[in-house]
Amino acid sequence: MNSWIHPGLVICIGGFLIPFIPWKRAKQAYFLALPLVGLSIMVSTSMGLFGAIPPWPDSMHKWNVPFLQYTLDIVRINKLSVLFGYVYVIAAFCMNIYSLGVKNDWERVASMIYVGSALGAIFAGDLFTLFFSLEIMSWAPFFILLFRGTKKSTGAAIRYILWHHFSGVCLLAGILIHVHQTGSIEFTHMPWGWGGKYLGSNLMLLGFVVNAATVPFHSWLADTYSEASPSGSIYMTAFTTKTAVFCLINTFAGVPLLLWMGVTSAMFAVFMAVLENDGRRLLSYHIISQVGYMVAGVGIGTEMAINGAAAHAFCHIIYKALLYMGVGCTLFVVGTTKFDRLGGLYKYMPISFWMTMIGAFSISGFPLFSGFVSKTMTIEASELAHLPIVYLLLEGASIGTFLHTGLKLPWNVWLQGMDEPPPEIRKKLKDSAFNSPVHMLIAMGILSLLCLFLGLFPNVLYGLLPYPVEFVPYTVTRVFSITQLFIFSFLGFWLLRRWLGGHPTYVLDTDWLVRVPGRMFIDFCKGPLLAFGTAFDQWIMQFSGYFISKIKNPNIEMRMTPMAIGLGVLASLILFSTFLILRI
Amino acid sequence: MINLRKYPKKLLWRFYFIVLTISLILDFYWLHQHIFHYHFDFQYFPQFFALLGLFGCMMLILIAKGMGIFIVVDENYYQKQSDGSNGGPN
Repeated sequence: MNSWIHPGLVICIGGFLIPFIPWKRAKQAYFLALPLVGLSIMVSTSMGLFGAIPPWPDSMHKWNVPFLQYTLDIVRINKLSVLFGYVYVIAAFCMNIYSLGVKNDWERVASMIYVGSALGAIFAGDLFTLFFSLEIMSWAPFFILLFRGTKKSTGAAIRYILWHHFSGVCLLAGILIHVHQTGSIEFTHMPWGWGGKYLGSNLMLLGFVVNAATVPFHSWLADTYSEASPSGSIYMTAFTTKTAVFCLINTFAGVPLLLWMGVTSAMFAVFMAVLENDGRRLLSYHIISQVGYMVAGVGIGTEMAINGAAAHAFCHIIYKALLYMGVGCTLFVVGTTKFDRLGGLYKYMPISFWMTMIGAFSISGFPLFSGFVSKTMTIEASELAHLPIVYLLLEGASIGTFLHTGLKLPWNVWLQGMDEPPPEIRKKLKDSAFNSPVHMLIAMGILSLLCLFLGLFPNVLYGLLPYPVEFVPYTVTRVFSITQLFIFSFLGFWLLRRWLGGHPTYVLDTDWLVRVPGRMFIDFCKGPLLAFGTAFDQWIMQFSGYFISKIKNPNIEMRMTPMAIGLGVLASLILFSTFLILRI
Repeated sequence: MINLRKYPKKLLWRFYFIVLTISLILDFYWLHQHIFHYHFDFQYFPQFFALLGLFGCMMLILIAKGMGIFIVVDENYYQKQSDGSNGGPN
């Protein structure tokens, strides 16, 4: 009765069987059944079939394995992991519906391993299991990107895996130092501070914030998520960053550094999104911005802020998948998401427009939509903690979110004041309102309903949160202030809408430092530095050859030997003194 | 029968202006009636959220356009970079 089946393991191992199923329909049914098995495990867990879930932060431990002198706590169930588990399997189910048309079976395998390893990470109770799951999780998107097969996506895959190697190495070093200092491998709250004593914690924190795409380690996200295939990118939006938020809630709640990093991300990303010309890159910047809210919530660290961060992660996965699906439909049907080439698509894809608008209202935090019930929690927590600057920056980021996803994106893709799309786009469209494949629309429909459901019945979500919730989202003050904020943001947009149109441009981000000066450094090493090294080597050889020839000459042997010895002694003295100076 | 393929432009504009007018009136009325419960003093400023929305939005666009002078480049910037040197998987 008490034996719990790990949904991550089911989805991971089950995923490997997909290519070996011979019939197409059976394969699709099996692909949809995998996350449903995960969902049924989650439902039975929260119903108490495997034992009652204790109040946060206590946990149930289900699977312990001895490893060296430690005990691996592979499955630890608590309220937070159940919350994330639910949204992961629900999102995976909708994403699987959306990608039913994918031809490459191995892309499906990679996406199922992605989902499974993310579930592995959130149920991990010790740092080794966590690290192992996160490492597998960093490889799955690499393959998703590779399977798209274009030159750009291959480059993005390599950059993706390099960034995640960096975060993985930081995390491993942090874990090893922490284990060496404390002897404990438990995945729980870590002490944090500045200085050598906290080196392990700081390295772990660095590993997590790179995964969470927090400014200034955010550029990999916008760079790579926009290069995956329409269906591949849907999976990438959900799991990596939110698992990192989960890790941060578990380990570094209440760290003030995170508060400021989070707020900076939330604000910085909306500035970048103003300039963006690619729909999917714009949405990627909004992942960075929204994860900034969550990281800021973790940084505030009060019960309400932690609840807010967890609730926002839940809602975010759903509406961001929906938004990516809406833009993904456009990419699938007309082959581009660049604003300068689109516009006037409404007549041909109205359903995906309206469903994307539901996602856009949710991400903006309009009353009655899902973002409202979660985002306001974090904002309220910043008000209760008396942080006016944080409050204003988070409100500013809200305006930016509405401006881009609610106005700029739909305006540029579906409207732009045009009745018909540009001729080269029109050629790819049937003369009907149903250009998107049906399974894509069904997936978006389910997610749209979920967005509305969470917005209308927030108590269902609040019941799943780690701490008890006393927060009431629908008050006169809050509903009114947010509505007024957005109504006037729209006015600002309408006045300056010509400035937000598409141009064939690219926006540089902090990854420029790695990609351009980094390449220059490698070119410098390969070219001038190597030439200099070779020339210097030859010169030394000639110099020593000259001495040897002089020494071997019997006529000057007597005079040269003491000189050679003297030079040798001088050289060693110089070397030795340099060494001493450097040491001191 | 609603025509799915026609964007309901007029309807949305009407709806927008109605909500805008109501919000402006209610702000004064409710503020006067002490219905609002804010945490910071500046939030009680009349039409604070309307001003924040309008000017916040415009400032955001203007500052970002200013940043754009330095960071907006040609669409194929990185492709050109990689072609210029010894190649590479860009």
